[in-house]
Amino acid sequence: MIRPNRTHAIRLLIAWAVLSVIGVVIALQLRLPPGDQSQQAVDESWLLQLMTVISTPVFVGVVLFVLYSAFVFRQRRGALDDGPPSHGNFRVQVAWVAITSVIVFIMAGIGISELASTSNGTDFASSNQPTLATSGSVGTTEAHALQVQVIAQQWYFTYRYADYSGVESLHLVLPVNANVVFHITSTDVLHGFWAYQLGVKADANPGVDNITYLTTMRTGSFTVRCAELCGIWHGNMSDTDGSVVSQADFATWVANLQQTDSDVTLPPYAPFYFPSPRAKGT
Amino acid sequence: MVAGESNRGTATRVVVLVLTVGILFALVTFFIGDFVVRGPGSLTASPATVAQGNQPAQSAFIHLETVASVDSAITFPRPDDPNPSWVSYLPTTILKVPANSVVTVQIDQEDGASGLRNPFWAKARGIVDGKFHMTYFDDQGNPQEGDFSAIADPATAAHTFAIPDLGVFVPLEAISDAAPAGSMNVITFSFKTGKAGVYHWQCFVPCGAGTIYGNGGPMQTLGYMAGFLIVQ
Amino acid sequence: MATASLGNGGPALQTSERQMVLPTNLLTAIILAAVAFWAGVQLGNSFGFNDGLNTGVLLGYTFGTIMFLVGLGFANYPLARLFGWPISPQSAGDEHRGVWRYLNLSLDHKVIGVQYLVAMLTAMLFGGIGAMLIRTSLLSPDQTLVPPDKYLVLVSMHSVMMIFVASAAIVGPFGNFFVPYMIGTNRMAFPRLEALSFWLVPPAIVILLASPLFGGFPTGWTGYAPLSEQAGQGFDSYIVGFTLIGLALCVSGVNMLTTVISLRAPGMTWTRLPIFVWGVFSASILGTFAAPILASALIMQGLDRSMNTSFFISSNGGSPYLWENLFWFFGHPEVYIFILPAFGIVMELIPHFARKPLWGYRTAVVGLLGVTLLSWFVWQHHLFVSGIAPALRPFYMLSTEMISIPTGIVFLVAFGTLWRAKISMTVPMLFCLGFLFNFLIGGLSGVYLSDVPSDVTLHGSYFSMAHFHFTIVGGEIFAIIAAIYYWFPKMTGRMLNMTLGKIHFWWMMIAFNLAFMPLFAAGILDMPRRVSTYAPSLQSLNDWVSFWAYLLFASMLLFAVNVIWSWFFNPKVAPADPWHVRSIEWQLPTPLPRRNFERIPTFTSGPYDYGNPNPRPAVDLGPEPAPA
Repeated sequence: MIRPNRTHAIRLLIAWAVLSVIGVVIALQLRLPPGDQSQQAVDESWLLQLMTVISTPVFVGVVLFVLYSAFVFRQRRGALDDGPPSHGNFRVQVAWVAITSVIVFIMAGIGISELASTSNGTDFASSNQPTLATSGSVGTTEAHALQVQVIAQQWYFTYRYADYSGVESLHLVLPVNANVVFHITSTDVLHGFWAYQLGVKADANPGVDNITYLTTMRTGSFTVRCAELCGIWHGNMSDTDGSVVSQADFATWVANLQQTDSDVTLPPYAPFYFPSPRAKGT
Repeated sequence: MVAGESNRGTATRVVVLVLTVGILFALVTFFIGDFVVRGPGSLTASPATVAQGNQPAQSAFIHLETVASVDSAITFPRPDDPNPSWVSYLPTTILKVPANSVVTVQIDQEDGASGLRNPFWAKARGIVDGKFHMTYFDDQGNPQEGDFSAIADPATAAHTFAIPDLGVFVPLEAISDAAPAGSMNVITFSFKTGKAGVYHWQCFVPCGAGTIYGNGGPMQTLGYMAGFLIVQ
Repeated sequence: MATASLGNGGPALQTSERQMVLPTNLLTAIILAAVAFWAGVQLGNSFGFNDGLNTGVLLGYTFGTIMFLVGLGFANYPLARLFGWPISPQSAGDEHRGVWRYLNLSLDHKVIGVQYLVAMLTAMLFGGIGAMLIRTSLLSPDQTLVPPDKYLVLVSMHSVMMIFVASAAIVGPFGNFFVPYMIGTNRMAFPRLEALSFWLVPPAIVILLASPLFGGFPTGWTGYAPLSEQAGQGFDSYIVGFTLIGLALCVSGVNMLTTVISLRAPGMTWTRLPIFVWGVFSASILGTFAAPILASALIMQGLDRSMNTSFFISSNGGSPYLWENLFWFFGHPEVYIFILPAFGIVMELIPHFARKPLWGYRTAVVGLLGVTLLSWFVWQHHLFVSGIAPALRPFYMLSTEMISIPTGIVFLVAFGTLWRAKISMTVPMLFCLGFLFNFLIGGLSGVYLSDVPSDVTLHGSYFSMAHFHFTIVGGEIFAIIAAIYYWFPKMTGRMLNMTLGKIHFWWMMIAFNLAFMPLFAAGILDMPRRVSTYAPSLQSLNDWVSFWAYLLFASMLLFAVNVIWSWFFNPKVAPADPWHVRSIEWQLPTPLPRRNFERIPTFTSGPYDYGNPNPRPAVDLGPEPAPA
């Protein structure tokens, strides 16, 4: 039976609307990583969820159309009929391109504004500072965010606290409700510092001081992994003992660190450390 | 073409095809299998019989040797090694130790200094009492010994023995230039193992000579400066 | 005096019986290559650079490839012209017969197409084996089954081999074979360049396969310095092999662009060009202009590794950022080289199997050209977290998001064609529909990656890996398989078994989606790429993925059986037009005559003129050619 275009279109629209609503409702229930341990993590989770919500109707629409066509617009068995000689429809084409463009520009706009907002991104504007954290003492003023240097080497991350005479530690400990500025560098090849639950990722480049910001919001533990292939133990370069602790605990921990590690003389704190490229007599 | 002829032709073609595919398959499997499966052998910790220096008895014992090149090995020669000029831990880097016990490691260190790129590793961490026992030679070539929590000068480190996932990091001091030929620093320490698992261990001194940043070659090959600690 | 034809149907050349000193064929080529490799290694090592003996291997591979090409006979024609020797059938590249013709230098674009097809399928097999070993290693997070140093070698081998395949697997076999037919010409503009673009591929594959013999390389296909410069001699395979493929892309691109621009038959206007030709054309634009950048970057890596330069060593004034930017400036157009011909195939096949004109033809062309243009402006999205100047990020986020507009046009055109059509669910059509589903997922996941804040979580994780597998495997490979099922009768004279084809489709579609969909989750759950160990909580997920990956490989083995059986063991010749479509290649007899057209045809309408009650014939072929 030849149905008019409108019948097919209405069927598809109704099915699309119903399935999209169901899909979007499900998408809104998802609790996507990285979570809520930092402002950055919250923003990233929100953006991931937004994109899932927007992608759901697109996905439903395309799949529905393909399946509908595959079942309804079929050739009769054994026949070789031609379909109608339709070469295009200017209005539909313009509408499609316009709608996809609008969606794309909205998405890009949201992403850019999130990047530009003071609580995210790496130094997007020169006057950018992390949102003021509101309690505790370490890292809570604009002028004095906690400076943490992440030194990536093959195959372990170590951390130096510039504000505490450059003391170095095996594990990353941060105070809660603090603004942190990471200075990430490498002493050999490219690595990637990825603190998963904190929503922070930045590459470690030899001879480069790569800066990224963090505002911690909740105590808890987090995992640090390497996100850039760096050789044989790249997959093993992970540390599950990162933690965000209360301000008091952090002060105690740092003081302890300064005391116990006094028998090792570290080089002065510097934005990056230039290693000699070759070793041993060459 | 007569039906009988084409059947015979087809049969020949099938046989040739199956044989060719079979031989190719066998070659590929052999090539891949040899590549994937071949690796260094393992060393199982032996029960310690007497206390080693200040280390407790009744712990599992591992004896290793670090050398500037495989062909200069003294305690554990490895004659058929494909890379005789590489720095190496000998006899192997795949170590098997028991779970929930104290493991004592003795390392005969015969290599010269490369220097720690990050002097943070000069301090020993994660070992029993925080100290390692070392017999060494001073600048005049006289034998000395003592218990240390760190090496004095990061530039004199030859290697480290580090198991990052267990928090064990031990610097290994280089043999002094004034020491007699064929001598070694003997470094002994202990650490505790917990539950079973496979942990990687590595050296943190960029001692891979001739490679950019010193971390290529032996540093990235099992059996030399990288290995597994299999806790069973 | 004998006459030799240049390639297929070009003007006949006067020849003499004078031959080259050595008969130039595959055997000569292999022997000369082996000798030249040995000589190069000796020469390079004798320079005495303290460089881990990389100079020797680099020179060895280079000399070996050059002498391989000389041995095949590429030097015959240039030398003959240079020294004024008469052209022989050898130097015209046309003297072999039978199966041997397919194993030697031939200037016939049909032969080159078939050679490419076999080479691509073989390379895909090797890459697939690498993938199976990777998935086997990932069955458990402890790294004892495949040790981590070997694991990285496997990852690198698999990825680089598949990149080689993806670069050329559509333009090579189908572009070379069918573009001359589709535009109505007897030969391509530069048959020798076309042959060169093919014959660079086997040396590249062999050089890559030789890499484990030298210890392999640990960098994956991106070859990031300075890790690459720490690697041993195995990395030199990457440098030379990838340079050869880059050269092949450039050379093939020049040939293809010139052919389509200059050799179209009368009546074949730009607006009647089959959309497949547009897809190949736009990919060739990218290939011609992007590949030289890759080659230069690889040469810099080679110099760093052999001559102690410091392009990428920051301690000596270089920068790893230089490599990242050069590589990705090529690398992003490269992935559009993969997908534009795939779009061409899908938009070509859907009208034929839906028996409707291609809906929105000009929009489709604008879409393809839009992707081509925009692909030059997005490469920094691979570097969002690398520490690039922060003010660059919004621009590249916008440009990357924008590229989804022309990509969406492909879906628009496909939907318009499917609307109210009379679809025959043949095997090629099934694969095209599978393409639409898979590429949708791949494309949507690309949007997640293009927004910088979400990219911070997703970069360098399995999410990114799932994204590009959906677009490349679910997209390009599905399109390649559709093209093989569609064009196999014309290329080889045999039909593939369609029952096995349908089983293949469903098996592959289900196995592929079930294998790769969970990898999005793995990435969001904190699993980085290129790791041989992972959090124990992810083991069940990885085991599930490996299981379905094995089944995916098995489906490709089924396909291989179908191909081999149909090609070599099925005596039944395929009909000339099994699909009953209007495209010009199906109006010609099977098997195809050696000379494409006795008389250059005149095109009188586009190939998609279905549904027209008074259709004009698509092409006026003139009097029937005499039987071969």
